[in-house]
Amino acid sequence: MKSRPRMHSLRWLHLLPIGAVACEYFYKIKVVNGRSMQPTLNPDWLLSRDVGVFDVFSVQAKHHYTRGDVVALVSPMNPERMLIKRILAVEGDVVQTLPPYPDPTVIIPKGHVWVEGDESFRTDDSNRFGPVPSALIESKLISIIWPLNRFGVFRSKPSINMDGLDEPSRRHQKDAVDRDRWRDSRVVRRPGQSA
Amino acid sequence: MAGGIALKLVSFACAVHLFAEYIGTPSNMSGVSMLPTFAGSGEIVIEDRLSIRLSPTGVARGDLVTLRSPIEPSRIICKRVIGLPGDIICVDPTGLKAPSTEHVIVPEGHIWISGDNAACSRDSRDYGPVSMSLLRGKIRARIWPPSEFTIFRNPTTYID
Repeated sequence: MKSRPRMHSLRWLHLLPIGAVACEYFYKIKVVNGRSMQPTLNPDWLLSRDVGVFDVFSVQAKHHYTRGDVVALVSPMNPERMLIKRILAVEGDVVQTLPPYPDPTVIIPKGHVWVEGDESFRTDDSNRFGPVPSALIESKLISIIWPLNRFGVFRSKPSINMDGLDEPSRRHQKDAVDRDRWRDSRVVRRPGQSA
Repeated sequence: MAGGIALKLVSFACAVHLFAEYIGTPSNMSGVSMLPTFAGSGEIVIEDRLSIRLSPTGVARGDLVTLRSPIEPSRIICKRVIGLPGDIICVDPTGLKAPSTEHVIVPEGHIWISGDNAACSRDSRDYGPVSMSLLRGKIRARIWPPSEFTIFRNPTTYID
């Protein structure tokens, strides 16, 4: 009689593979570590870590990712490390690089992307290791679930509508828009666009 | 009741898939780039996924590996490991794709890969060293056709 309740909970064990596949291929919840995406992610780095929902399915199955998306990818230098970066440019684009990259501009080769952190001083990104194969992109950030004051859908492009914001958040928003314009301006040529 | 059986079938399919993804799976080979080790088509090999999961950098020169193509994200390719991080590699000894005097150092976290059929293979000679993060598995054995059954052991010998 004692083992009855345990048997009852084990009855659902055969559904475990479905759960595992769903977690592996559809959505993942990840904690963002480190400061490379400041101030977009982990703005109060000392106080708390951001937690986000990442969409695996649209990246792996449909290859939906574009300039501006924040993605989780396997580091090209160390297979055991995950990075979170923003895609600055996709294949065929010409990008203005930042130091320490040896060349002033680079053409992104086929099947590659150019990724950078938002905080350019504390990031290990394409300016260090060059364009990365798109096969290394695992998922993209679709929403933030922690901290609660920033809970919601994650927009890769900051909105320019500033109605109803108080002065500090208005300034934050303006900075975000400026950074976005600056990123845009560094992609000097896109495929299909003449030189 | 029918719903319960369907659910069990889906669950079983998921379990099979997880096994293939994490432990290993028979895979179909096609393409001429690995001739004469593998025929151009119609061969089935055992792809070991577990060793790369357990040690993502645990490859040796001479291993047969599968990896995601650095130029086409949805394609899986099979090549032989030629160089490990820090090795100095002659880009193309035949001088076909690069002058035979050109050498490169394989960077940290990268490997140099090449097809066994040098005349008909797109590999590191074209796209340079590839990241170890792209590795998926190792080819352990050929199981089909049965007459060609082979277990692949690393053929490299070192001369001290």
